This record gives sequence, structure tokens and C-alpha cells, in this order.
Amino acid sequence: MTALAPELTDLQAVVEEVWSTFVGYEHPLCPRQVPPGTPLDASVWSGAVSVTGEWQGAVTVELADDVAQAISRVMLDLGDAETLADDDVADAVGELVNMIGGNVKSLMPGPSSLSLPAVAAGRAVFPSDAHEVARLDLTWTGEPVRITVHCPGSPR
Amino acid sequence: MKILIADDSRVMRQIVIRTLRQAGHGGHDVVEAENGRMALEMVASEAPDLVLSDWNMPEMSGIDCLSALRASGSQVPFGFVTSEGSDDMRQRAAAAGAAFLIAKPFTPEAFDEALRAVL
Repeated sequence: MTALAPELTDLQAVVEEVWSTFVGYEHPLCPRQVPPGTPLDASVWSGAVSVTGEWQGAVTVELADDVAQAISRVMLDLGDAETLADDDVADAVGELVNMIGGNVKSLMPGPSSLSLPAVAAGRAVFPSDAHEVARLDLTWTGEPVRITVHCPGSPR
Repeated sequence: MKILIADDSRVMRQIVIRTLRQAGHGGHDVVEAENGRMALEMVASEAPDLVLSDWNMPEMSGIDCLSALRASGSQVPFGFVTSEGSDDMRQRAAAAGAAFLIAKPFTPEAFDEALRAVL
């Protein structure tokens, strides 16, 4: 069985719309050329949501620590001098992956349900029965940002 | 005018409050709930004029909160602010008695348009 995947251009449009609305236009998201399977070489925060129903999959967002902290400050309207706690970062990363995942869900056949986000300080790792069907490697302020869609079933 | 914002994410409650301000609706009293169950209780205790609610929340979802409100006889105007804006979700929201559904990411203009219809 071949897993149905969102078009990369649609995924990119979703990510850019969410990012520009909630993080802003001041610094653009830029493409990052890396070979498939390349692990992120930075210390990261990650968030994941899963979709179950007519379409099944998971969407993950991985952000370099500096990116996760910077976008949390923007989303919470915190100044540089104000303290940013880990649960603030977890909340912001969770909301980011929730919005991206919710929009990916809307691109795919329904009906289906979106899970609550799970967030970790570290990479997003999946068991071997899930495979990557779409991935965006980007940079923001020079630091890596990765959005990945995983599906159960055989790789294409 | 009192608006109850229900979302399990503090970040999103903050963004909704900021967007209300940007949409020209910054003068209202705002009260916050962290899930649908808390929102249900706060509709009774705070008597808001409008509920803006996320869909997916722990404890009780937004759609279950809306159904419970309508079952209890409350007709408080209720709108969803959610990451999912599919036709199926919009139909479910409308059938349950929601006045509107604003999909994330949203703009101040989308908020203003939705709120003008109910305020």
C-alpha cells in the first residue's frame, strides 16, 4: 500500500502562512539543502501531532533551541529581559505543530481526528513502521527548522 | 462586554487577546479558561457575552462544551478558533450551534468580521 502524502508545495504554503502570521515577516524562512536522512545537527525542541481516521499520519516540527526560544518570545510577547520558562517554549512549540498539523489534516481526505500535541526537548523519533512521506528543511535566522510528515505503511 | 477565551495553550490565549486588540475589540473584559470543562463552569459563573473556544482541548473539547451549554439551555454566542477549518468541522460546528469558526492561522480582519456578526 502506498501512503497518501500532502504535496510539498502545499506543506510549504501551510508552514509559511502559519509562520508569517504568528512569528512575523521580519526574518524569512529559507530553504536548507540537506540529503535525505540527515539528522539535525543542532540541539532541538520538537513537537508532534497525529491524525487518525480516513487519513493516518503524524506531523512533526523540529526547531533549533534558539529558534524555539525566539518564536516563544514573539508568540508570548515577551521582551528579551523577561524570563522564558521551559513550559512557555513547550506551549509555543505545541501550538505551532498543532496549527501546522491541523492545516495538513484539512489538506487530506477526511473525516479524521487531530491529537493534542506532544512536545519534547530533543529530536522527534518514530518507530520503524512509520516512514517519512514529506519533509521541509528550512532555516530561520540561520538556524535549522524541519517539518516532517510520517505515515504508517510501506515507503513509496 | 465580556469575552471568555477557552484554549489549553497560554500562547494561543495570548495571541487571541492580541488579535482582538488589533481587530479593534481591545476594550472588552476578557476571562480565560484552560479547557472545555472550565469554560462550561465559567459561562455559569462569569456570564460572558461571547465564548471564543479552541476545538481540541484536554478534559473537555470545545464541541462537547458547546453541546453541554446548549443542552443546559445556554444560548451564549459561541465561536471556534481552531487549527482545523475543513468543511466537515464547519458543518459540525454550525450543527452544534456555533456562530462561526475561525481557522488558525487567522488575521485581525477575520476576527473583526466574525465578531461584528455576533456583537
